[in-house]
Amino acid sequence: MRRPVSRIILAALLGAALPARAQTAPDASQQPTPAADIQTVTVTYTRNPVDKSYRKMIRGMERFAREHALAPQAALRFRLLPRTPTVDMHGITLRVIGDHIGVPVTVAPDNSFVLPRNEQALQEDAAVVANRKTTSMTWRAQVVTPGLPPGTRRLGDLRLECLVGMEAGLVSNSSPLFGWISNALTSPEQVCNSPDGNFLFFTERPVFSVTLRAGDRSEILPFRFLYAGGEQTRDMLPFCDCQVLLDRTYYAPIWDRSWPDDTLVSFDYMDDAPPPQETTP
Amino acid sequence: MKRARLLLAFAVLSGCATRAPEPGTSVAEARFDTLVVPGRTTRAELLAAFGPTKTVKFDAGMEAWLYTSPAAAGRSTELVLLLDRDGIVRKLRKRPPYPTDPAP
Repeated sequence: MRRPVSRIILAALLGAALPARAQTAPDASQQPTPAADIQTVTVTYTRNPVDKSYRKMIRGMERFAREHALAPQAALRFRLLPRTPTVDMHGITLRVIGDHIGVPVTVAPDNSFVLPRNEQALQEDAAVVANRKTTSMTWRAQVVTPGLPPGTRRLGDLRLECLVGMEAGLVSNSSPLFGWISNALTSPEQVCNSPDGNFLFFTERPVFSVTLRAGDRSEILPFRFLYAGGEQTRDMLPFCDCQVLLDRTYYAPIWDRSWPDDTLVSFDYMDDAPPPQETTP
Repeated sequence: MKRARLLLAFAVLSGCATRAPEPGTSVAEARFDTLVVPGRTTRAELLAAFGPTKTVKFDAGMEAWLYTSPAAAGRSTELVLLLDRDGIVRKLRKRPPYPTDPAP
């Protein structure tokens, strides 16, 4: 599958640089342009750049297999999360789409899914496409060890979610600059093993406090670990995939190896009791 | 050109990484304990007693406020409040400094 993305980006940049008049309808008095002067560019296919690459997501699955010791009892799923205020998170359908292949992916009621492995889709460099505007959602890996106490996560699971999520290219920050930097200068190791990695996790409900427990050691996470550091202004939020999940956003100290993988991460939510039917974020 | 782009990226990244978080207003913990009662204390009372501080406002109308209180060895205790849509303190939590915290 050919995707002349650079050509499209160049065209978009040139278009943005042109004066407004150049983009209006031609004046009726203008002379017709000779056909020989018209250059035709054939675009065979353009993937929406926010769609997810099937190959990358498979690489994320392979990363999960290699690093499974971080969460030996857990299975891998991926999950769709809201990115904009108006997106309807019900009834989402998902497909792996290549040049000659389309593979439906079953989406669970909590908008999680398992990505099937398909060799033809890999060869065709397929895309994983949802029936939503792609900027309206973000994606994460979901690694959950079964049998944990309710309302808790396990730090090893979060470490693996970060590695898989970065390997799979799931974070949907929408600024082109953010995306370019992310692609050029960050690797899963750089992001997941650094205090400045800033990989965002999301709770199921608005969170007020996060506590880590490992044996006799217990610590409350500092305020700067919540709500994307509390530094996001209204102007910045649209560029963060935490845009509508800010009150559910936290950093976990996944880089700090003094906390073992079995560390329990527990949450005190803004509301004391869960709603009668747990809502999907 | 490539070098320039890399330098720009490093500059942006380092700017993000090194920006110190805005601290909360420092208050006396004993006075804070006396005056702040979840379910009763209002936004106006907080402002009158302690002044404005670092806050995060959420779409649902809730707000998180951060005050700090001096602790030993130049460190501080975090005093975090959750205010509801009506501006009333709903929750309060304290985070003491831990030995593993980075030096101030």
